[in-house]
Amino acid sequence: MRTRGAVLLANIITGLALGYTVANIGFGDYAELNRMFTFQDLRMFFSFAGAVGIIVCVFAVLRVRRTPGRIHAGVIPGAVLFGTGWAISGGCPAIPIIQVAGGYLPALVTVVGVAVGIRLCRWANARYFHLDRGSCGL
Amino acid sequence: MSTYWPWWAGAVGLALVTINYTLTTDRSFGVSSAWDRVLHWRRERRLEQMEEEFTDDQALAEALAAATAEHFGTGAGAPTAPQVPHQMPYGESQPPPPGVEQAADETPSVTSTGPAPLVTQAALLVSIFLGGLIAAFTSGRFQLRYDMGPGFRDLVTADPVTMVVLLFLGGVLVGFGTRLAGGCSSGHGLSGCGRLRPVSIVATAVFFGTAVGVSFLLWKVI
Repeated sequence: MRTRGAVLLANIITGLALGYTVANIGFGDYAELNRMFTFQDLRMFFSFAGAVGIIVCVFAVLRVRRTPGRIHAGVIPGAVLFGTGWAISGGCPAIPIIQVAGGYLPALVTVVGVAVGIRLCRWANARYFHLDRGSCGL
Repeated sequence: MSTYWPWWAGAVGLALVTINYTLTTDRSFGVSSAWDRVLHWRRERRLEQMEEEFTDDQALAEALAAATAEHFGTGAGAPTAPQVPHQMPYGESQPPPPGVEQAADETPSVTSTGPAPLVTQAALLVSIFLGGLIAAFTSGRFQLRYDMGPGFRDLVTADPVTMVVLLFLGGVLVGFGTRLAGGCSSGHGLSGCGRLRPVSIVATAVFFGTAVGVSFLLWKVI
């Protein structure tokens, strides 16, 4: 299943399932997110950690290929910026889309901010950083 | 009682999404990467066209080689078709060095592939919206509102102008940070940690730890 149509179908199914799942877990709810990050309620944390645990086991059983990746100079600063932005705005790149879908209209501003940040990063990297950042989408 | 799913249902749901995508497309799945490619669609489209042309060139070279072999034979003195060097049009990806992950690469059904086609990445983002919309309506949580809910109002700000400024700045940090780090909570957190990639484990620990620190500041200090 590697044709263009099959990959398109897989992306549509994945998007629908991801949006549905993430919304029903509560990641789009700022109060729930803050309760997770401050350990007042570990339900969402266990959802995330549990998912990682299941994926590790299944990938190990199926011997799924491990993609290479090195810890380049942008990983830690980038992760610090991302963590700060996530705690403030309540959105990782998928969540503002889900917040808008749930009726939170101000999350459109977050979506615009994410788009500006992504374009800014590619521009800054080409001009100043020159990092081979790798990509999670490969 | 919370109207959200229990933790185990969320864990199974997120795991199924990630595993299904990985097995059906032979790619890691990452939302920030999809965003990045869709936002730079002109450049990405050019790269896709270059790759298609390269594929055509390779097919042409192989056909020429076959025709040459048929005509002249395959002896040592026979002319050969020119070799087309393999190009990596996507500058962000690199092939693994020789010897790396040899054991894992023995899986017969898995092949090395480039990024998913651009249109499929755009479809992913639109589908996330539709999935969220379906969840909001079927759960009865959909409500058009001009704020981010009581949690944001109590913990961050109740002022609409400050809210807009902070959401924008937070979004910029998320966008810039995820691309600088090479992934987000889905790419590094689910796919990367699921594959036990050291870079993903480090990135996830750092962005989660930072979010914990900032959230405590918002909750207890600010």
